[in-house]
Amino acid sequence: MANPPPNLRARAALAVAGVMQGSSLDDALAAQTAALSAADAALLKAIAYGVVREHRLLETLAGSLLQKPLRNEPELQALLLCGLHQLRAMRVPPHAAVGETVAAAPALGKPWAKGLVNAVLRRYQREGEALERGLPATAAVRLSYPDWLVAAVKADWPDSWRQVLAAGNEPGPLTLRVNRRRGERASCLAELAAAGIAAEAVADAPDAVQLAAPLPVEDLPGFTAGRISVQDASAQLAADLLQAEPGQRVLDACSAPGGKAAHLLERVDGLDLLALDSDAQRLRRVDENLRRLELRAGLLAADAAKPSAWWDGRPFDRILLDAPCSGTGVIRRHPDIKWLRRESDIPRMAELQQRLLRALWPLLGPQGVLLYATCSLLRAEGEEVAAQFLATHADARELPIEAGWGEAGSTGRRIAPGGSHDGFYYARFGKTPGASGS
Amino acid sequence: MAVLPILHHPDPRLRRKTPPVERFDQDLQRLIDDMFETMYAAPGVGLAANQVGVQLRLAVMDCSDEHDQPLVMINPELVMTDDPQEVEEGCLSVPDIRDKIRRYNKLRLRALDRNGQPYELEADGLMAQCIQHEIDHLDGKLYIDYLSSLKRERIRKKLQKAAVAGG
Ligand SMILES: [Zn+2]
Repeated sequence: MANPPPNLRARAALAVAGVMQGSSLDDALAAQTAALSAADAALLKAIAYGVVREHRLLETLAGSLLQKPLRNEPELQALLLCGLHQLRAMRVPPHAAVGETVAAAPALGKPWAKGLVNAVLRRYQREGEALERGLPATAAVRLSYPDWLVAAVKADWPDSWRQVLAAGNEPGPLTLRVNRRRGERASCLAELAAAGIAAEAVADAPDAVQLAAPLPVEDLPGFTAGRISVQDASAQLAADLLQAEPGQRVLDACSAPGGKAAHLLERVDGLDLLALDSDAQRLRRVDENLRRLELRAGLLAADAAKPSAWWDGRPFDRILLDAPCSGTGVIRRHPDIKWLRRESDIPRMAELQQRLLRALWPLLGPQGVLLYATCSLLRAEGEEVAAQFLATHADARELPIEAGWGEAGSTGRRIAPGGSHDGFYYARFGKTPGASGS
Repeated sequence: MAVLPILHHPDPRLRRKTPPVERFDQDLQRLIDDMFETMYAAPGVGLAANQVGVQLRLAVMDCSDEHDQPLVMINPELVMTDDPQEVEEGCLSVPDIRDKIRRYNKLRLRALDRNGQPYELEADGLMAQCIQHEIDHLDGKLYIDYLSSLKRERIRKKLQKAAVAGG
């Protein structure tokens, strides 16, 4: 007889343990789902995403269920959390959740732990409600965030920090970007409706269509034909904010995976667009995306912070700087960000963002527009970077963003995560008339 | 020891009921060792003698993760079965295909070991499933016989195509 099917709970535990040891959830899942059927992979992903999302809560719960804490058993610990998550939050029959999770212990090479896993999960079934009530009432535990991130979000969103953190625990919708070159949003909606896929237009992003339930993108009408792409509504705001005009010379400084560049090319005729990314591997994804959509751009693997190495001296009419950031605005899509980021990353990121802005500013022509964007929740990577840039560049002025989405800050505009939108920050700059270059 | 080639469905040699083992000699010991090596290399958890072209009522198994629980079944018979359940199954003679069928979750097995000594054994879960799978082989049956004729036909076509492509 062929080997039995792989134990999905064991694989989910390995993925979760991988994230807690520093690997990205995408990479950890790719390794565990490679040989699985679509249905098995979907169940494995649902378990792993859920556990990573609520890791701190589940870990605290497991601590109250264990006689003594597990030491140096990251995979077994992850397996216990996978079991608890199935019992607490998933539509899995409880006997299957317990039985399959117990059976996963030998698959992890720990047959001795079967009794332990069984005892912990059965105790949760008996005493779960009381144990849940006994958990610390702090937001960091209840909403599963590291202490430093709770403190930072509290400081930056004093009135709505709890909603902001809670929104990070709600998986974002699957949002499509309709390729204007291939059709209207209305016809895309009609096509989806005809295929029995529930979807609606997003009010403040003119090309965005939001699906009621996520689906594999390859199954959507028009994906392979390049009529639609996947992109969050907040990211789709960039194309309008940049106010690009036909034939202009545009720099997309941190382009990968190329969604914003593609959107610009779909929207504006004859752009001379240079898509830059420091990572050649990631730049290949830009190429793939543009090819699928039959769009053209210059592609260059180069460090945007060192234009002397690649800039030909001709100014750009538009510059999009979608800067590397903590990603705290997209935690709802990438819950591993909660645990992979460190507090010390934030000042490092802010310094990099400032350096990129300073380096790219001289490349902007006199009538030009530079759009600065991050998918961070934190002022340190948004408003503060933009304000400091303005304060140190006399030839720069803010071009305020008037919009129905989000909220204006002292500089730029931010949008909280939740509903149709990822958390994002945008600020727009132009050259001060009459001022000489910096 | 040697890894032996495994016959693939629809080979007619997989469809004969195997005669009992009567001689417990050196050749039999060598065959058993080769079958274990073949099974571990496949990789699989069980292998029947007729899957490697030997018409004898003999199968080897190891359902452990550490490959440390080898079991030899000679002239096996089921003396008790209980608790039918739906399980996913695959066969080394029907490569790259799996499907759900019904198997007993609990059973008692009576068989001879590699020295011809009788034993009885109670098994459940994966081991019970594997014992039933191997005894089916020794009776000339495959797990796909329990699937609908439509599914069986699809599998036969797929394997034929793979055999042609593989040369
Ligand atoms: Zn078989």
